[in-house]
Amino acid sequence: MKITRSWLEDYLDISVKTEELCHELTMAGLEVDEITKIGNDDLIDIDLTPNRSDCLSVFGVSRELNIINKKYKMKPSKNKIVNHDFCENTKINFTIQDNKICPRYSYIYLKNISSSYANPENINARLRNSGVNLIHPIVDMLNYIMLDFGQPMHAYDADKIMGDVVIRLAKKNEVIKALDGVEYKLTNENIVITDSKGIISLAGIIGSENTSVTESTKNIIIESAFFDPNLLANKARKLKLHTESSHRFERGVDFNLPEKALQKLINILQENKVCEYSGIQIIEDKNFLPKKNKVKLNYENIRKEIGIEIENDEILKLLLLIGCEYDKSTDSVINPSHRYDLCIHADYVEEIARLYGYDTIPIVPEKISLQPTKRYAPFEIVNNIKNYLYKNSYSECINYSFVNDSELENYDWKHKKFENHKEILNYMSIEQYKLRSNLASSLIKNIQLNLNVNSENSYKFFEIANVFGDNLSRVLTCVAHGDKHDENWTVKKRKYDKFDMTSIVEDIAKIFGLKKSDLIYEIKEIVDNKLMYITLSLSIDKLIDKIKNNSKEKFTDYSKLPYIRRDLSFFIDVNITYESILRFIEKTNVHSLKKILLFDLYIGKNVPKEKKSLGMGFIFQEDTKTLTHKEADIYIEEIVKGLKDEFKIELRE
Amino acid sequence: MSVDTLKNSLKKVLEEAVKSIKNVNTLSDLESMRVKYLGKKSLLNGLMKTLSDLSVNEKAQAGKDLNDTKKLINDLILEKKLSLSVIENKSDDGFDMSMPGRPSSIGSIHPISKIMNSSIEIFESLKFECVEGPEIEDDFHNFTALNIPDSHPARAMHDTFYLKDDLLLRTHTSSVQVRVMDKQDPPIRIIAPGKVYRKDSDITHTPMFHQIEGLYIDKNVSFSNLKSIINVFLKSFFEKEDLKIRFRPSYFPFTEPSAEVDIEYTDSKGNKKWLEILGCGMVHPNVLDMAKIDSSVYSGYAFGLGVERVAMLKLDITDLRLFYENDLRFLKQFQRI
Repeated sequence: MKITRSWLEDYLDISVKTEELCHELTMAGLEVDEITKIGNDDLIDIDLTPNRSDCLSVFGVSRELNIINKKYKMKPSKNKIVNHDFCENTKINFTIQDNKICPRYSYIYLKNISSSYANPENINARLRNSGVNLIHPIVDMLNYIMLDFGQPMHAYDADKIMGDVVIRLAKKNEVIKALDGVEYKLTNENIVITDSKGIISLAGIIGSENTSVTESTKNIIIESAFFDPNLLANKARKLKLHTESSHRFERGVDFNLPEKALQKLINILQENKVCEYSGIQIIEDKNFLPKKNKVKLNYENIRKEIGIEIENDEILKLLLLIGCEYDKSTDSVINPSHRYDLCIHADYVEEIARLYGYDTIPIVPEKISLQPTKRYAPFEIVNNIKNYLYKNSYSECINYSFVNDSELENYDWKHKKFENHKEILNYMSIEQYKLRSNLASSLIKNIQLNLNVNSENSYKFFEIANVFGDNLSRVLTCVAHGDKHDENWTVKKRKYDKFDMTSIVEDIAKIFGLKKSDLIYEIKEIVDNKLMYITLSLSIDKLIDKIKNNSKEKFTDYSKLPYIRRDLSFFIDVNITYESILRFIEKTNVHSLKKILLFDLYIGKNVPKEKKSLGMGFIFQEDTKTLTHKEADIYIEEIVKGLKDEFKIELRE
Repeated sequence: MSVDTLKNSLKKVLEEAVKSIKNVNTLSDLESMRVKYLGKKSLLNGLMKTLSDLSVNEKAQAGKDLNDTKKLINDLILEKKLSLSVIENKSDDGFDMSMPGRPSSIGSIHPISKIMNSSIEIFESLKFECVEGPEIEDDFHNFTALNIPDSHPARAMHDTFYLKDDLLLRTHTSSVQVRVMDKQDPPIRIIAPGKVYRKDSDITHTPMFHQIEGLYIDKNVSFSNLKSIINVFLKSFFEKEDLKIRFRPSYFPFTEPSAEVDIEYTDSKGNKKWLEILGCGMVHPNVLDMAKIDSSVYSGYAFGLGVERVAMLKLDITDLRLFYENDLRFLKQFQRI
């Protein structure tokens, strides 16, 4: 809300600089966003929180300033009580179908408005500064009073109203063509003002086009009513509408204002000799006006919750200052009609804290029992992986969780086809319309973007995040593109390959004391846009599970005797995995075999078709006696025989 | 020459040598110093020749003195040589120490991760336990249970991404509060870091960002405790003991009293400004009651920190979107461990 300093000065004595005034507003919860110089005046932009509807006017802000600091004295009201020469009110009959929906409705009738009338420049300038468009002198006047006083009003072209006016709930699917030219379909929760032909206004939100005031309007009915915030809440938003009027009514307008606002209007009309006007007509049922809330004060709770020393009567004094009534017999306070935010005891705790001054409240650390810090295991695990990757030339990326429809998105994190994406119903851009089911595609896009602007020959990116597949799960994905190493004089260039990714998996397993086979992962080559990417995706959730059930790190004794190594080179069917060879050897349970290693793999020249050549080393060692070469020969023979029987291997010379 | 004269001469040479060696700046100058003091034609060698005039006893003593001096000067030269070698990148075996080594194996950690981690570490040291909650939430946990009913004007403050089946992407980590209170009885002392989503995109807003939520519920928790924890955290986080912090009234449906916290920030031009850094407050009794925690017995505070916001301040980043472009030139600026 934008208001000028001079406008505040209509109500207040202000002797300080605008900056100081604004600081006090900010520290009282009425945050000033910006101060702009306009000639000799300052435009103050206040960012009001939704609970403070009482400050949605110049008067409201002045009242608040006067409470915050007594040095801002309220000036006596300028509204002159004069003998008004009223004309007759409109003949149109107003009825409210159910008093609950509009407990207070008042109106006046303006007659013979001169088409040449223009508002004083002071009013127009203030409206412009506050960002309100000038529409029609009378409408502008109503907007002015709304900003000044906080009461939204509405002007109808009296001659366009057909028959009598009824205030009722809309019928389902009833339509209003509003002032903004848009047709809104209503529900039976909307309160409407109607004439014999249909809806003439959507109560407290917007008027209809057909009864709106235009240049040629001669006679006007001004509506100044009270609509309950509980009945208006959310109604405008559901229609994708937001008006100055709905903004105020749904937050709560003081039910004592409608008549006062009309009196203010009459004052302006008289002062400027605008037209003839009637007296104020009021229809009301006080039973349905908002009940004031009586709250019993718990002084000790106030002191404890805020953490301050404050006397009971000091608390009471502050609450009387903001306009509360005090009921001595029950030791309760009652909120003033403009403070909709004061309902329960906590509201008063907040009010006391605010008036006491947040900055004055002491800083007191809580007493907590001393216990060793419990680190959150999933983050610790993730951080360990991040640190490992960081030390292995990987850069961490963070990407949005939403993606577009590109081909790479149609996979889950294990690179299986997946098309059952969770879609965002109200997405902002088609580039971000569904939740990603894998991380590889995001990282590939990152690399592609980098390739356009960066000269690197090697990209190694990773991300750890939730993916939204059939289930939500936390995944690590590494994507590498180009060479294994940054260009460097010491190394021969070679492409990053899948075995580089395998090392990462092996290392991660080692870091957490697991075996490679404990992890759930997938290593792939993905070609996109003719470029090749190596990807590794690993389930962090599964890793965390495995780690939880892992045994503690313990020492195992080892042999102090010499070892003997025997190497084997052999051809084996190309389709037999290394894993199955290991498993088989493990099963044969050869005595004192301590370690197996693979030192060569060769496919091609001099190797029979459908075969591969493997070079494996076997290390034997006894725990209690020195192993002899003879024994080692027996052991290796055992292995060879087994491999021959199982895999039909053929030893090489 | 007498022993005493010799002693004096040695002392003089040593003093001179110490001074000259100290002032040498290049390896080649150092070499000429070595020739001057230890070479064949050096003063010390000359003195050596005068020893023959002395008696046997005196000769032994003088010889020892002379050798000690030589050794001292030699040590000085060697020491100097080592430091000059590093400066001039040359060592004895012709190894050019300035040559680039084998390819670096240092990557980078995303600045958001770093800021999250350092914040989490501070809170863990303050005995908050870390928890996580789902990014896809339902209306109840994201709004209703936080005292934001359907009709509440505060809902307009959240521009929410909706999914099918009345699900949504959480708009704040406050939803984790609800999940924790559901499972755990007080005392509760947790932080909940994570991704949150809002329908907003410009230089200061991205549709996804990170928050750290804090919650402490116990008997006798007060607003002054909240002020304390926020003070401790911010001063530690910004590594500035005299950081200026102010609390001002604000409004959140799930806290009352609510506060916005500002810190004083000096921009590049030296102008001091107050910058909004986090929202916090005392847990609203309605929130406690809905979680079946007796609000007449327990009270609590809660806070929510925008990670990107503090990251931008701490790292001097002005465009929020940089965090999500993942340009290597951006990422590699955060190589420190």
